[in-house]
Amino acid sequence: MTEGMLEVRALAVAIGNRPVVSEVNFTLPRGQTLAIIGESGSGKSMTAAAIMGLLPAGLRLASHSEVLLGGKPLPLRDESLMRRIRGRRMAMIFQDPMSCLNPYMTVGAQIAEALRHLGVRRGAEQRERIVELLRLVELPTPEVMVRRYPHQMSGGQQQRVMIAMALASEPELLIADEPTSALDATVQAEVLQLLERVQQRLHTSILFITHDLAAAARLAHDIVVLQSGRVVEQGPVGQVIHAPRQAYTKLLVSVRQMLERPQAGHDRPSERPVLVIRDLSYAYPARGPLKKSNKVLDGISLPLHGGRTLGILGESGSGKSTLALIVAGLISPDMGEIELFGDSMAAVRFRMSPRQRRRCQIVFQNPYGALNPRLTIEQTMREPIELLETPGRTGLRSRLEQSLADVGLEPGHLNRYPHQLSGGQRQRVCIARALLSGPELLICDEIVSALDATVQMQVLETVRSLQRRLGFAMLFIGHDIEIVRWVSDDIAVMHRGRVVELGNAEQIVQAPAHSYTRRLIASAPALARASVNPGA
Amino acid sequence: MRRYLPVAATVIRGAAQALGIVFLIFLLCRVVPGDVVDVLGLEGGLTADQAEAMRRELGIDKSLVDQFLDWSGGMLQGEFGRSLRYGVPVSGMLLHALPVSAMLAGGSFAIGLALALVLAVAATSTRSTVLDVAINALNIWSIAAPTFCVGFIGILVFSIWLGWLPVLGGVGMALVIIGLDNAGQLVKPLREELRECVSLPHVRTARAKGLAPMQVAVAHVLPAASPIVLALSGIVLANLVSGTITMEVLFGLPGLGSLALNAIHGRDYPVIMAAITVISVSLVVINTLVDIIARLIDPRMS
Repeated sequence: MTEGMLEVRALAVAIGNRPVVSEVNFTLPRGQTLAIIGESGSGKSMTAAAIMGLLPAGLRLASHSEVLLGGKPLPLRDESLMRRIRGRRMAMIFQDPMSCLNPYMTVGAQIAEALRHLGVRRGAEQRERIVELLRLVELPTPEVMVRRYPHQMSGGQQQRVMIAMALASEPELLIADEPTSALDATVQAEVLQLLERVQQRLHTSILFITHDLAAAARLAHDIVVLQSGRVVEQGPVGQVIHAPRQAYTKLLVSVRQMLERPQAGHDRPSERPVLVIRDLSYAYPARGPLKKSNKVLDGISLPLHGGRTLGILGESGSGKSTLALIVAGLISPDMGEIELFGDSMAAVRFRMSPRQRRRCQIVFQNPYGALNPRLTIEQTMREPIELLETPGRTGLRSRLEQSLADVGLEPGHLNRYPHQLSGGQRQRVCIARALLSGPELLICDEIVSALDATVQMQVLETVRSLQRRLGFAMLFIGHDIEIVRWVSDDIAVMHRGRVVELGNAEQIVQAPAHSYTRRLIASAPALARASVNPGA
Repeated sequence: MRRYLPVAATVIRGAAQALGIVFLIFLLCRVVPGDVVDVLGLEGGLTADQAEAMRRELGIDKSLVDQFLDWSGGMLQGEFGRSLRYGVPVSGMLLHALPVSAMLAGGSFAIGLALALVLAVAATSTRSTVLDVAINALNIWSIAAPTFCVGFIGILVFSIWLGWLPVLGGVGMALVIIGLDNAGQLVKPLREELRECVSLPHVRTARAKGLAPMQVAVAHVLPAASPIVLALSGIVLANLVSGTITMEVLFGLPGLGSLALNAIHGRDYPVIMAAITVISVSLVVINTLVDIIARLIDPRMS
């Protein structure tokens, strides 16, 4: 093994007396990549911030912690000395490139700022260097991109600009904090590839912070697994992923592997259709007399049979969430027909009757926003019952307790407020609430996207087993191929407001016919495919 | 080029607003019962015939529509008519009053904004609790102590007891008092905004680039706070245009406020309308400018 580029010794960070990161040790060799894996609250981002000397106010680095860059200790407690090292010997890129770029400056000006910090004066040399950097991150037409503002670029382009800016000094260490989490799957894959190529050209050491085991397996040589601020396990990729020693690591790996194993019993006998969508179109209205309206759905036709699950797979902007809102009767389409349980919705101007509403329910993406913070769980769950049924007080409480038990919660949870529950528990409450009226169709709009991987699996398993028992049909909207495939019998792939491919879930994943589907599936970072790594 | 289209739209909207306001002012002036002839009559004892002749001479016996057309037509040529009471051209009176008010509003706004910026930036960069206490005190002061009260006390202390300043016509004290009031209104929201701006992701990016604190503040934090600064400045300036009346009266400054107030007492329509027109058009101009500057600063708005 080569000498350590970055050595972290006994790194500890605390808020007041509460430790956030405790005694983390690792070594990142020159020109290699080390991934720090962890779920939310694991302290992975704070570890990165501490190394950069960018801890948010209120967080304190322990006095015995030491970080060595190129064999020499970093002056972590001297801001003015750290400033000279940041942007020169080490640089950082972040999760959400849209908010991490200054919206008031052109990207050229922002890169120029980084260059001036390095002593490159304004002028022809600086302009050439900016274009050269943009070319390095493989942006098309760099001369044009220089004059763009961040909001005029796509998320992938923005992240490329961030990388270009970080590479301005050709730093020895690049810290990438969840660099692809805010991006679509196809773009994620491109950015990871770019990081790999940049590393090969510049021999940069990369500290890769991520929650995504598959992405880590793809990019990293070594992995450090963090849980609640402590290192659970660390070692070469091959060892951590294929022979995990600790229970938590095994759980993380098994969650991923479970997704990659095809589900048994995908082919249940199909009953009569509960939902038929025909030629559905929708455009967001123009915001002014001279503006164009924005077409998000363009001639969608889909069938969903009783008791089955139809997965809607698409990237951001594909129109999949708009489709969910229309089917749930929350917005009306411009054109087309929806047959819900055999009744024409166009005939009633897409206004659902209380009877239909009982039979068709929706669960949303963000369980933090979907529950009223001022109502207890019991009050929250009573609401739909009082709205949709003639209230029979007797046995209501025990009915609520039963429905909570169905989603793996306890009667005691009824008296709590949403902020006293974890994200996974909140989403379970949302699911229980949606199932109270005994719906025949459940619309799930990205219901696990806001949750950690281990929690995702628990919630998905709950939904699947409830579906097996209660027999409702599901419209499952998602962006993660593995998850949609794991849940669904059939999958419709959406791209720019159209269904580009519709078919059996396994078939679509194994033998995609449409070029867009092929691209989407190729970009999914599967653990099995990523396990062969040169550094392992 | 497409960036300037919304700006043009803003200007047109502002002009339409101004026109509407001017028409409304004209109507409101005529709704109030009694005219200048009534007031002069009470003072000087005119006969009915004399009053009638006077009305005809002044043109206020015509229909409302004709009067409005006469008046707005003249105004477009910079001709506001003659004062009914003093017989001098209104434009001349405006030219005397306008600089006084503009200086009072502009000067006190500049003092207020500068003080608020200095305090808020200093408090944000040093995280000093003393400065935060000062900011809160100034904010509470501006809410709790009306400028005319402070003005009275100021005159009592500095002019009468200490004899340092004149009782009437002392612009300096008025400027400081209104300036402090403005600073109090601006400083608190500005401080809160800066507190949030320093933890914005793109400010963190700037720090990760290794930029010096000054550079981070000027190029990244302040632009992010500029929409709030602009919006607040618009509100404060708008209040100033109409709100310096009490101070003008108190300190005996011959500004627009004093002019309008005297004219209202005397039913001097041309002067009332001219003064209020100038005040409201400048309000529209301020709002329009704030809109335009906001669009020019933020590339996402065009």
